[in-house]
Amino acid sequence: MSVLGQSVKRVEDQRFITGKGRYTDDITLPNMTFAAIVRSPHAHANIKGFDTAAAAAADGVVAVFTGADIAESDIGGLPCGWQVDFKSGETMIEPAHPVLASEKVRHVGDPVAIVIAETREAAADAAERVAVDYEVLDAAVNAVDAIKDGAPQVHAEAPNNIPFDWGLGDADAAAAALDGAAHVTTLEFDNQRIIPNAIEPRCAIGDYDDARDHYTLYTSSQNPHVIRLLMTAFVMGLP
Amino acid sequence: MAVPITVTVNSQTHSGEVEPRTPLVSYLREVLSLTGTHVGCDTSNCGAEITTIEGLAPEGGLHPLQEAFRETHGLQCGFCTPGMILAAWQLLERNENPSDAEIRHSLEGNFCRCTGYDNIVKAVQHAAQNA
Repeated sequence: MSVLGQSVKRVEDQRFITGKGRYTDDITLPNMTFAAIVRSPHAHANIKGFDTAAAAAADGVVAVFTGADIAESDIGGLPCGWQVDFKSGETMIEPAHPVLASEKVRHVGDPVAIVIAETREAAADAAERVAVDYEVLDAAVNAVDAIKDGAPQVHAEAPNNIPFDWGLGDADAAAAALDGAAHVTTLEFDNQRIIPNAIEPRCAIGDYDDARDHYTLYTSSQNPHVIRLLMTAFVMGLP
Repeated sequence: MAVPITVTVNSQTHSGEVEPRTPLVSYLREVLSLTGTHVGCDTSNCGAEITTIEGLAPEGGLHPLQEAFRETHGLQCGFCTPGMILAAWQLLERNENPSDAEIRHSLEGNFCRCTGYDNIVKAVQHAAQNA
């Protein structure tokens, strides 16, 4: 019997309708620890230093890492997964994107440190004890103003905060069509930043098996192979 | 810091000690290992007797609402599904034959990012007709 033209029931529903799905936060591994991430409250600031002594001494804390630790390590930065070039054909400007910021924070929420502890609560409590010395800078928060001369520079490598100037289609044909048009209307569109937002909150478990020297990442994504490739090739330097 | 509590969940009574800041959903998930109830945001709604998705079905079987969600393709990723089913269960307990508008109104507190809600409404109607 062919399934073509038939209404076919899904095979995976049993676990979802009975509450037995294994979403990332449902998974508990032996000796699992929990992470709390310390994030910048400033939109733009230089980092003058970290003080993690109080956090490291807190109950249940296993380790504290800051952007300074990452900068000294072999851990690579996060690559841009989608490359978009200038209309001229030049490669887009891609500044470094360290896993934790060490010199400068560039948006509210930019991660600067991570606390690993035995419980969620211990990690959250200790994260509040991480001290970061910020030198607050003026921020560029409006795309139209950010590209004007004199705006705060977010990345030194991208003058006027322009990492790429991308176009699609035939510019000459479009210009000719407008020139010959009976009527031209101009509209300005404000498009909000678009980000995929499944209802399951973002979550990840990193599991290292030292018997096999093997890393397993549990996370929700539509692109597990892409994540595996980027993490191993660029971030962790693994074969 | 911990305070003693007693809760009845899915007809079983549990006693223990929790920190006052512990959300009910954390207690269900982490202490009772009932991970069927999900954390989508940080609001909670407490009751003296709690039924979770794990307590809805008869032993080895499925509740008509669970069957209905499968039948009408009322789920995709499944994350909102336990909440939808329990909210619908409460509705059908007090209203055996809800209208489309009544169903949508009673599910207002539950979000779904996948389905666009129509098949969820169909699932509730299907369960109401096949209870």
